[in-house]
Amino acid sequence: MSRAIEMNDINIPGTQSIPSIRADYAAGLLRMAGDSYPENSFELFGPVIEWVEHYLEAETRPLHLDLALLYLNTSSIRAMMDIFDLLQAAHDNGRPVSVLWRYDRRNERVRELAEEFAEDCSFPFEISPTAIDHERS
Amino acid sequence: MQSPDLNSLREFCNARRIMLCFNGPISRSLIEEIGNALRNYLEADRVQPGAAMDVFGIYIEMTQNIRHYATRMNYGEAEAAATVVIARDETGRHVVSAGNLVEVDDGRALVTRIEQLAALDKAALKQLYKEQLRRPRDTGQSSGAGLGLIDIARKASAPLAATALERPDGRSFFSLTALV
Repeated sequence: MSRAIEMNDINIPGTQSIPSIRADYAAGLLRMAGDSYPENSFELFGPVIEWVEHYLEAETRPLHLDLALLYLNTSSIRAMMDIFDLLQAAHDNGRPVSVLWRYDRRNERVRELAEEFAEDCSFPFEISPTAIDHERS
Repeated sequence: MQSPDLNSLREFCNARRIMLCFNGPISRSLIEEIGNALRNYLEADRVQPGAAMDVFGIYIEMTQNIRHYATRMNYGEAEAAATVVIARDETGRHVVSAGNLVEVDDGRALVTRIEQLAALDKAALKQLYKEQLRRPRDTGQSSGAGLGLIDIARKASAPLAATALERPDGRSFFSLTALV
């Protein structure tokens, strides 16, 4: 069969140009955090897109994305759009899917980036500022 | 061998408030290293996080565009070089410039494209950006080509400026400048 691959969890530690990516199949949870500007984003996000696709096909349980992504280059933005499109299609079929995107309230650019994605999604997509107390004076 | 005139290079850079410049073959890791230096300078200058992210993002898109172009054209190392300058203007805005060798026709097309983008306001750029994002990608193409220029135009606080200087060797030197 073509679906011979085992659906393992994904655990990619972040670097300065690659976000940390953790996909927990049992929990139905995908976490991504950090900057993303690899030269070839397809190499990085291809397996993540496949994981989401497979999870949504094989399971009926909810899928939640917990994001703390910062700067994304345009090829990473394309990959994220592909992921959100999969979630949107699942939502349209009645599947429970949701996104939480956390950002540092000092950086409006990250909020704007998240909002532009959220504009094209009708499933629950929360954009939440995190308080940065230690910088307050 | 004549030693390079470092003093006039230094004076040239200082007079133009150049904080960072690079000229030569550019690799994936060099883009990251120069990017790190840029981020550190911006932080030391206490630039707002949002503006710092715009300067950094423009730098990344420009240099990655250059790398993708050289790969697509099968350029050798010497032709796959980039000239990158990041400076501040007299009003304190950041000036991000990058240039590379391109085919003459590509240079002309790029300048035309930049002129089209420069005529658009932020709302029109956003609409164009969303359309481009939804456009089907060429198979096997890893880059966000096309989207990058619109992204740069959206992050810039003034219309982009571009030139393509035709050279006797049959190529053009394309250069693009964005203000933040």
